[in-house]
Amino acid sequence: MSSMEYLKPEDSQAVGDVIGNRALAGWEIASVVSSIFIAEWLASVAVDWMRIAVVVPIGLAFVLSISSHHLRGETLRDLGFRLDNFLRAAGLLTLPMIVTAIVCLAIGWWTGERIDFLRWHISRPLAVQLILGFAWGFVQQYMLQSLVNRRAQIVWGRGWLSVLVVAAIFAGLHLPNPALTVATFVGGVIWAAVYQRAPNIFALAISHSLMTWIVVSTVPASALHHLRIGLKYFGSN
Amino acid sequence: MSNRPRSKLIHLLISKSIAEALLVAAIAIGFYFATSNPDLRGVLDVANAETVNGWAVDEARPWTRVEVQLFIDNEFVADKNAAEFRPDVHSAKRAEDDWHGFIFETPPLPAGEHEARVYALLPNAAGSRRTLQLIGKPFRFLIEPKQTRLGLPQEKGGTR
Repeated sequence: MSSMEYLKPEDSQAVGDVIGNRALAGWEIASVVSSIFIAEWLASVAVDWMRIAVVVPIGLAFVLSISSHHLRGETLRDLGFRLDNFLRAAGLLTLPMIVTAIVCLAIGWWTGERIDFLRWHISRPLAVQLILGFAWGFVQQYMLQSLVNRRAQIVWGRGWLSVLVVAAIFAGLHLPNPALTVATFVGGVIWAAVYQRAPNIFALAISHSLMTWIVVSTVPASALHHLRIGLKYFGSN
Repeated sequence: MSNRPRSKLIHLLISKSIAEALLVAAIAIGFYFATSNPDLRGVLDVANAETVNGWAVDEARPWTRVEVQLFIDNEFVADKNAAEFRPDVHSAKRAEDDWHGFIFETPPLPAGEHEARVYALLPNAAGSRRTLQLIGKPFRFLIEPKQTRLGLPQEKGGTR
């Protein structure tokens, strides 16, 4: 008999020893990203009634995310659900948002695109669309920052490396739409960097909604391809 | 992070991976059954300079006529129902009546080797999507220079 000790499956202490904290954080990122890829590239284009399958990977991603916060002892405040640093986060976001808006306006002017701040959703009032954009941005920013960014900081530490990884993941999730991939990489860098300095999901969700509005209103619609991503990018419905 | 919650997280990650692998497998199987008909039977018997013919039957609904499309060299040629007289298919007990054949007239083709493919059209339940399912195997055939029906003297450099 060799001296090697085999792990007992029921021994949770031993199972926890198998993998380090950084590897586990990396695994969490990979798992959440794979869920979103499954939803974008597979489940959302499933035929007929099977389209409902999209809720499974998204639901599993949320179960994992919420369980992970609980098991790691993270509080809502840690995750960015707080108001005490809202103004600081908003202040950090203001300059990059103004610069990005000017760049978008320049792109619209340079391409000859008619700039129309009411075209985000033609059959819905702009205020309603901005609120819906906030809600959608809130969900995305929660998953991107409260989970991916925080785990990326465990793996690569706080700073530009983890910021770039978060931005690259966010951009990758918007493939194969080239304009949206570039836009989300830029947005991802800004939002991830701000979150590391002042974690506030509310400010990021407002920024997300406003920047989407600016991009949709200025960048040529043909380039944005109706904001379609995943396999739906190639489809007509 | 202590070992016990870490262990729980590992178990959760493994369980999630298994659940997603099962989901992907289920979607793949569902996609196969939604976009193909495992009960479709048929053969592309002949393709030549004159006709392309064969038969097709949906064994789950043998009283219906299968809509088929002819492609030659990957170009769409024609569409019709497989409703031609084929008593041999019926006598071989592949169909419930004699009318499951298809005969396409071969379009004018240049001399040389060509490939004919006949596909069955499969609409989904909502009618929002149609997929093609190959009947039998692709049939390669040769058009001799004397058989060409392009109506031009090719070797003399004429134009259409």
